[in-house]
Amino acid sequence: MTARLRIVTLLAVFISILVCGRAEAEPWFAVQQGFKCSQCHVNPAGGGMRNTFGQVWGQTALPEEHLDTGEPWTGEINKFLAIGGNLRASGSFTDTPHQRSLSSFDLDEMRLYVEVRAIPDRLSLYVDEKIAPGGAINSEAYGRLWTSNHQWYVQAGQMYLPYGIRLQDDTAFIRQVSGVNFATPDRGVQVGFESTNWSAQFAVTNGTAGGSSTPDGKQYSLRAEHVQSIWRVGASVNFNDSTGENRQMQNIFAGVRTGPISWLAEADYISDDNFTPKRKQVVGLLEANWAIAKGHNLKFTTEYFDPDRDVSHDYQDRWSIVWEYTPFQFLQLRVGGRNYDGIPQNDTQNRRLVFAQINGYF
Amino acid sequence: MMNRRTIGAVLMLPLLASCGGSGEGLDQNGRPINGGGGGGGGGSALTPDLQSIQENVFTPICTACHAGAAAPLGFRLDAASAYAMLVNAPSVEVPALLRVSPGNPDSSYLIQKLEGHAAVGGQMPLGQAPLPQATINVIRTWIQNGAPAPAQAIDMLTRLATIAPTENEVLTRDAPEPLIAASGALELSSISTANLTVERSASGEFDDSGGVTLVHGATLAVRSNDPTVFSIELPESERVPGNYRVTLRGTGPVPVLDRQGRPIPDFILRYTIEDIP
Repeated sequence: MTARLRIVTLLAVFISILVCGRAEAEPWFAVQQGFKCSQCHVNPAGGGMRNTFGQVWGQTALPEEHLDTGEPWTGEINKFLAIGGNLRASGSFTDTPHQRSLSSFDLDEMRLYVEVRAIPDRLSLYVDEKIAPGGAINSEAYGRLWTSNHQWYVQAGQMYLPYGIRLQDDTAFIRQVSGVNFATPDRGVQVGFESTNWSAQFAVTNGTAGGSSTPDGKQYSLRAEHVQSIWRVGASVNFNDSTGENRQMQNIFAGVRTGPISWLAEADYISDDNFTPKRKQVVGLLEANWAIAKGHNLKFTTEYFDPDRDVSHDYQDRWSIVWEYTPFQFLQLRVGGRNYDGIPQNDTQNRRLVFAQINGYF
Repeated sequence: MMNRRTIGAVLMLPLLASCGGSGEGLDQNGRPINGGGGGGGGGSALTPDLQSIQENVFTPICTACHAGAAAPLGFRLDAASAYAMLVNAPSVEVPALLRVSPGNPDSSYLIQKLEGHAAVGGQMPLGQAPLPQATINVIRTWIQNGAPAPAQAIDMLTRLATIAPTENEVLTRDAPEPLIAASGALELSSISTANLTVERSASGEFDDSGGVTLVHGATLAVRSNDPTVFSIELPESERVPGNYRVTLRGTGPVPVLDRQGRPIPDFILRYTIEDIP
């Protein structure tokens, strides 16, 4: 592609993007604010139900305007019970070369969260249930016990695995290729550590994405992150030898704030022994979140995927621009576009997507 | 205030994405045309047979997620598993529907998931552009034609292989019954209590007959005849925690036979049911 053609393409896609995409990475909030995930989420590793601080922050600091409804919603029914939820619905337009364009409206998901604080701040039971579309599917269900100094915890049940940046967007290359995302919770035990600047988790799970265990082995996930007010850096390793899978993954990830822009980056190296010869993959993400005004964020994302290091000319990339607008509490609108670039002989790897999405949260 | 250099860095971000690979020397699945580089080829025209669908759809698109131990809901679509996992197999999301109901594409859950009108979950492939209707129509034709197995499987020596559970797998009480696939067609009338046994052992040892219990009432639920795919159903009262061994004997006075009357090699599957609901 010539430089001129590339610039024209970029301008065209940028303009089209102002009317469209689905990039739902929330970790940039943490980078922007200098928080750890546990500042806003019930799960110290992030994702899912928001805690009292997260609820209030999402109603006051995030939106352009806070509509006065009296006492803020905290999700707390009483000191023993809290609930929350998310609803995402979208409309999208997909243009794939040599195929008819497709436009559709979708109910992406409706989730309900319930936390029973049997012993407040020490022992809790947590459920994350996707209740729509279709029948209910359990994502997370576990019990968690904190030590009295609230530094160590152990949780057991079904849970999302600790690995890398917990992006909301499961279609991001780093989440789709690693297979660690919101669609693949697993059953096992996790031990976590939280201090002022450190967050770490170690999980031993079946390695079967919620299926039955196997006698061949388990999946081991270790994630550690060091957090400072304007930057953070972390690393993860994951090994899964269940059913002869023998997949090894490792990544490094980081975040930094430069003025109104919050940057996120992750690079993964994945090897699979059950291919001959062993398959090695590389995946990367770089994202900039530009908080242009209160309630407004422009998200720029570029991603890279090399599906086989031993094969030349097969890599894929995609980039996205998304405008995220939170007019008032409990409602976020997203409009964006995404461009996929892959090998020319595969049409699906060269599609373009324009979308609008509403996200209701409480 | 943000300086211009930072704004420029953000706006230049998409340039880092560059363009995708040139695809030089690769087929449409991104594999080397000469077959090197550690994977199968594919890229031939899509035709309504499982081998072609496997090469053009299941392997390049679906196995990105539906493969290996971490396959969502245990549903694998790699070449070794696809037929047994699809044909006459109840779906996990809507158990009343078969993933592939031979002769009935409209009532096949696979088609409903690909066309986006399934009662549960999102349209497949998840997060990607839907398959072109022309591609789905080829899969429909394969199902309409009875969803036959890949041609190369028919003439192979008839052997049994477990699809689920895997050997020595530990199951919960609500796990599906064992699913076994033959590489060809079995003579089902040759299977009887004389050559099919299910045993249970508390210790996990099956050599000491004193600790081994013969499980009565095991039946076959045949999902397809050619190749033969079947599950072994145990009475609810016999489905208790313990170590199990399923044996189908092709040796001895009353062997299991294939459709050509040839005894099959002995087949043994061991697994464990744990006391977890």
